[in-house]
Amino acid sequence: MTADPAPVPSDLDRALSVEGVCLGLEPVGEGAVELRIACDPIAQKVAPGEFCQLRVGPGPTPLLRRPFSVCRADPEAGTLSFYLGIVGEGTARLAALRRGDRLGVLGPLGRGFTVPPAPSVLLMVAGGLGAAPFPLLAAACQRRGVELIWLNGAATAPRLFPVERLQVPVAAHLVTEDGSQGERGRVTDRLGPLLAGVDRVAACGPNPMLAAVAAAVAALAPTLPLEVSLEAPMGCGFGVCLGCAIPVRTPSGPALQLCCRVGPVLAAETVDWPRLLALPPAHAA
Amino acid sequence: MGSAAPRLDETVDLGRGLILPTCVTVASGTFGYGFELGRLCPVDRLGAIFTKGTTLQPRAGNLPPRIAETPAGMLNAIGLQNPGVEVVRRDYAPVWRDWPVPVLVNVAGQDIAEYVQVVRRLDGVEGVAGLELNISCPNVAGGLDFGLDPAAAAGCVKAVRGVTDLPLVVKLSPNAADVAAVARAVVDAGADAVSLVNTLVGLKVSLALGRPVLPGTGTGGLSGPAIKPIALAQVARVRRAVGVPIIGIGGIATARDALEFLVVGADAVQVGTATFVDPGAALQVLDGCRAHAHRLGLSAWRDLRWTGPTDPTREGGGAPG
Repeated sequence: MTADPAPVPSDLDRALSVEGVCLGLEPVGEGAVELRIACDPIAQKVAPGEFCQLRVGPGPTPLLRRPFSVCRADPEAGTLSFYLGIVGEGTARLAALRRGDRLGVLGPLGRGFTVPPAPSVLLMVAGGLGAAPFPLLAAACQRRGVELIWLNGAATAPRLFPVERLQVPVAAHLVTEDGSQGERGRVTDRLGPLLAGVDRVAACGPNPMLAAVAAAVAALAPTLPLEVSLEAPMGCGFGVCLGCAIPVRTPSGPALQLCCRVGPVLAAETVDWPRLLALPPAHAA
Repeated sequence: MGSAAPRLDETVDLGRGLILPTCVTVASGTFGYGFELGRLCPVDRLGAIFTKGTTLQPRAGNLPPRIAETPAGMLNAIGLQNPGVEVVRRDYAPVWRDWPVPVLVNVAGQDIAEYVQVVRRLDGVEGVAGLELNISCPNVAGGLDFGLDPAAAAGCVKAVRGVTDLPLVVKLSPNAADVAAVARAVVDAGADAVSLVNTLVGLKVSLALGRPVLPGTGTGGLSGPAIKPIALAQVARVRRAVGVPIIGIGGIATARDALEFLVVGADAVQVGTATFVDPGAALQVLDGCRAHAHRLGLSAWRDLRWTGPTDPTREGGGAPG
């Protein structure tokens, strides 16, 4: 196994550490909210799939910032939004913000999704909270005239990101594990027939779901480009804590690389899926 | 106040001609090799940069998870991921040569031979202003922890001292039974300065998984505000034991934290984990220290230093009651 080579040439110089102002929180289904903030400098430059590190409080506990894909950005209004599940103390604090509260915002960070050229068809596959980066990606695609297919799954209907929140026209295919909305099943159950008519796939969700999507695409449409947005426990978000290593495949063999630098969006074929899936869950309480 | 305040001399003399421009520096393992942060933390104003721990060969580091958040802190078990000393001397040192800030390479190894080989490759390399010897990296399987034992620590320092005239800072472990004894031993063996504390051994349990969060034995290095009182006590103790410059480390996130270390005997400080939370933390700490010094009309950081206690029976205190 090789070490992470000399630092990846990054565009960290795009990243800014600034203060945002909470404009409001909107409950989205069960256990999730969309947090909207005023943050003009980052709204001007963020690209789909990139993330921000949000400070969750002024005190030392919880200590670390929390990484979130940018859900929406409005450069004219100077606003950003984040779709976040309330899963622990950090996210609970963010969900308790009130209009006018200030919070530290560091971004944009990481590498995002490819926005394909038109004319083309992009299949967006999301699981649960993995819907987060797609409104921004969909908006960029719509501006370019890319046709969009939306395959979204969740455990239950209240956990499903509402399709109207994408705010762009899509051909939607919804699935829930309990059948409470859309078809019963998982996104991979519906994936196969959709692959024939698309030029590219973008996916975000739990790592096991992404692995299943990658396996399906590799089996059914091996030449179809697939990008996945991975999750990893992240400390700093800008490549110095070395906490977010993920197993990848490189021309010189298996390696560990930092999710915050080479990702969070990677070409599926560069991810070492068996080794990634063998790791313990990212956020075990 | 009629007379002009004395001008603050911010420099810190670490010995062997290495003079830091100011007292606030950044800790090994929290600032990469100095160029990763780009504009998020311009390095020009820092007192020094202590690089990521560097070994003879490249190291991929441990499998994740590598970090776990704890109250007012975090555990890490990175496993010394680094590109190896050849990349550092060939690709990184030429970049540092043109910087106003001194860069000290943190050196790690599994045995004395590796320390010596790494140091030999850094000796005389332009851009390398000095070395920080990491004699305590508990996160590497099979690695000897020289930092726990005065004789072992001295042996390592003596071997390194024999192959370089570079300024040599030795980073001390808070996990040693007697940190002052280790400090005396490494100074006698040729250390120009000491830095402390490295991380404390800690462990976090996942009840959901029924086992520690971090892999292997589950232990990692604890850092962050949680360890500051321990670090302050150890710096104060080492200050009474040795006369060489001390670089204080441990949970420094604000100027107040840094000033506390200067009071108990540190000559300079390293900002570490705080950089993860705020990449510009070290510069904010520096600005705050300067403002404090100007308010008090200090002429040197050392003017802050507490000179007591002299009662040796207080040494080793800490028992309750």
